[in-house]
Amino acid sequence: MNITLRINGKLESIECLPGEMLTEVLRRAGHFEVKKGCDTGNCGACTVLVDGKPVLSCSYLAVRAEGKEVTTIQGLADEAKKFAAFLTAEGADQCGFCAPGFALTVLAMKDEFSSIPDEAQIRHYLAGNLCRCSGYEGQIRAIKKYLEAQHAE
Amino acid sequence: MEILKYACPQSTDEAFRLIREEHGTAIGGAAWLRTNTKTIALGVDLAGLGLGYVREIGDHIEVGAMTTYRELETNPLLRARFGALFETTVSHVVGVQLRNIITVGGTVAGRYGFSDLNTTLCALGAQAVFYPDQIIDLAQFIERGAEAPFLLEKVLLPASAKGTYHQMRISENDFPIINTTAVWTGSEWRIAVGSRPAATRLCPKAMALLGADPHPSDDILASAARAAADELQFGSDIRASAEYRREILPVLVRRALMEVRG
Repeated sequence: MNITLRINGKLESIECLPGEMLTEVLRRAGHFEVKKGCDTGNCGACTVLVDGKPVLSCSYLAVRAEGKEVTTIQGLADEAKKFAAFLTAEGADQCGFCAPGFALTVLAMKDEFSSIPDEAQIRHYLAGNLCRCSGYEGQIRAIKKYLEAQHAE
Repeated sequence: MEILKYACPQSTDEAFRLIREEHGTAIGGAAWLRTNTKTIALGVDLAGLGLGYVREIGDHIEVGAMTTYRELETNPLLRARFGALFETTVSHVVGVQLRNIITVGGTVAGRYGFSDLNTTLCALGAQAVFYPDQIIDLAQFIERGAEAPFLLEKVLLPASAKGTYHQMRISENDFPIINTTAVWTGSEWRIAVGSRPAATRLCPKAMALLGADPHPSDDILASAARAAADELQFGSDIRASAEYRREILPVLVRRALMEVRG
């Protein structure tokens, strides 16, 4: 099958099998920034945005991306760099494997909430992003400070 | 899971025909396809049928089969009519990213034992609407399944109810060990229990003990909670033994009833 979708703003036409998941198709098209983690819908490493909503690309049927706008971390590189500076400042990023999915979920959360979410809301929204290095505390501090800075701008 | 042939019909008629006449397999959220080893000869994607909605029609609320968990969690109409019931029910399911994929129809049609949502739907007295015109009590469908290949179109909910969902999990993103939803409909109490680990069942004896009194005493609540555990069967699996589930359930049911009664 052939699907046509917009990836990070660029129209692309990609071959895929009917039962294939989006992770495989994106990586085959060279988007290695989409990480393949658990591949069972549990870790959040493969998160991408489809029409602005965060989804697990390992559990998203690739053919359903036909005609949709798919955003990987590369598509939000400028915004992600701003957030990454807060992660660095808090010592919250270690191996970095979860970072693309984690950052995309944070950016989606920022867009979804009209005001700054509290810590419980942040933890709830990020429950689907597992990190095996950080223990999350530094990440939570980084997110709070990033959101406050964004809100102040 | 391997899908040999894929179709994305744009009408419910066509989808139903493919399922009935060409032995197609309906694809809902598709979240479990990755971990399933089955081979599907013809996958019938329901994404093109416009079945993602929550709307009020007459004296009930309709939830389309392709409505996602995230929509249930954040929908203003559901929050206005059922409080935090739907949010509490689905918010433990992995993360926002998966809840943006999983659908109501996939969960109901799968009759999954571990389901959080089916417990709440059964407790609410939801009805399942199968295309073209068959309406079945959802609890009955969960228990007995369907005799022929079907296309679940939507779920009907009462216009409002007061309910709460309680569950126990080993870890936040895991399946529940046991779960329960207690509902006061305005005229009767309803209790459903899921993840036994088998599929959701109502607790008619416990419900009968509570009767039509909106403010039953603490003793009656405790008796009903115990009755719920006595009338159900429990099994053992990797997460908990049957005995453990039987001991935990009355605690959750009593808490849920007390919360709803106030």
